[in-house]
Amino acid sequence: MTAESARRPLVALEGATVGYGRRTLLAGVDLAILPGDFVALVGPNGGGKTTLLRTLLGTLPPLAGRRAAPDRTRIGYVPQRDLLDAIWPLSAFDVALMGRAAHLPPWRRPGASDRDAVLGALERVGMADVARRRYGDLSGGQRQRVLIARALAGEPELLALDEPTNGMDPAAELSTMEVIDALHAANGLAVVLVSHRIESVAAHASTLAFVDKDRRLFRVGPVGGMLRPEELAALFGRPVKLGPVAAAMAEPSGPAPGGRP
Amino acid sequence: MSALDTFLSAREIWQIPLAASLVAGALLGALGVYVVLRRTVFVSAALTQLSTLGMVAALLVEERIHLEAEHASEQLAVAIAFSVAGALVLGAWRSRRLPAEASVGAGWVVASALVVLGTSRLVHAAHDLSGMVFGNAVAVTGGELAALVAVFVLAAVVHLLFEKELVFSSFDPETARALGVRVGLWDTVLFASVGIAIPPAARALGALPVFALLTLPAAGALLAGPRLRGAFLLAALAGVIAAGGGYLVSWFAETPTGATMVVVAAALALPGLALRALRR
Repeated sequence: MTAESARRPLVALEGATVGYGRRTLLAGVDLAILPGDFVALVGPNGGGKTTLLRTLLGTLPPLAGRRAAPDRTRIGYVPQRDLLDAIWPLSAFDVALMGRAAHLPPWRRPGASDRDAVLGALERVGMADVARRRYGDLSGGQRQRVLIARALAGEPELLALDEPTNGMDPAAELSTMEVIDALHAANGLAVVLVSHRIESVAAHASTLAFVDKDRRLFRVGPVGGMLRPEELAALFGRPVKLGPVAAAMAEPSGPAPGGRP
Repeated sequence: MSALDTFLSAREIWQIPLAASLVAGALLGALGVYVVLRRTVFVSAALTQLSTLGMVAALLVEERIHLEAEHASEQLAVAIAFSVAGALVLGAWRSRRLPAEASVGAGWVVASALVVLGTSRLVHAAHDLSGMVFGNAVAVTGGELAALVAVFVLAAVVHLLFEKELVFSSFDPETARALGVRVGLWDTVLFASVGIAIPPAARALGALPVFALLTLPAAGALLAGPRLRGAFLLAALAGVIAAGGGYLVSWFAETPTGATMVVVAAALALPGLALRALRR
């Protein structure tokens, strides 16, 4: 990767109004994802995080402003796993193969190299041994890893995850975040992650974006700057007193204006 | 002369209806896997009713313009138009205020009422409607069998060629869309294939067995627990046995054909249910 390509956004929103139909959720959103970034979109449930992520990924057009992304940006997407119907009789391998199949022409079937790539992706997330098991029979944590493997099978530059630890017990949550951390660290993979639990992502992300449509809130900055009491008060809508861990992570300076930390 | 001898000597009567039953059973059984997995079972009920409505509309027009001859292909074309239009609307319906069941239920009940109203205005062809709704499968013509075979071949080619797109778009439309798959297009292809399959099958077998064949073989196959491709094959096989077996049982037991097919299809789903129970 050249220095120039490392500074070129994989995807960016410029002055974007985010919403659907005629309903505006967030306005004036500037957000750029560079190679190697780890950005967490944090906010309350129903606060517009998923809509913002969809706009960033290009599945929902901005109501105003623009989305910029080079055509060649390869995106891996991990949806909220509860949205997937467990009655489908698909193996973990079948599900992961979809990440590969999406890049093939419609009539072409996945070949041996695609299958090898999928097995490799399942191995990277520690799920090779459940490849033949039915997806619907796996635990929540295992399903999440299979969905991450599916995203990895497409060899993405940007991995987008929507509430990947929602509904997990603390051990599964930690384990899932460690997998995401390891992928980010080993491959310089850019990560955009949606979560309503700031405590589960603050230790992993390098950049935090606070999102709440009800207060028209969109603020973004480095983790240290965003963990200050005044920024957290804007997110939670009331005064916040930092605990010792958050206080240690917080920096004295606030977030940079605009979409870049 | 034994019952079997009588049956064999009457080959000219049953061979085309039986062949139509087998083709419809395979076609509807396999398509039913998508219908069941996408939780759109009642969409297929509404489409069957819309197909019947299309048939009634064609018959009404024929009577109004005093056409004496049978225009089966035109009737089928109108039924397909009604069914495909319904499939595209009901299959794609997404409302933030109403559950999908509301639109499907409305489609079914309005189509049913219009069938009754339309039938009440028919002078000569009203007797045909009972066969269309509850199943007849006695007077299937060579043309109707040819139409069914053509639809079967078309559906098989489309579903084999585009299997990965249809499965991905159905299982996880959000991710498919994010990865650049044209989910709207593949949804249209899927629902159009169901919409095209229903009218010729309903014309040959009747609406009741068509709804049953779109539901019960797939449900039994999915309960039996194979992977997706196995479920398609098993459901197609169960559809063939239900439709063909139902036809033969109705012949020998002298029972109504459509209802017999439904009962056989339900009986075939029982082993899947038993297997499921045993696994628990």
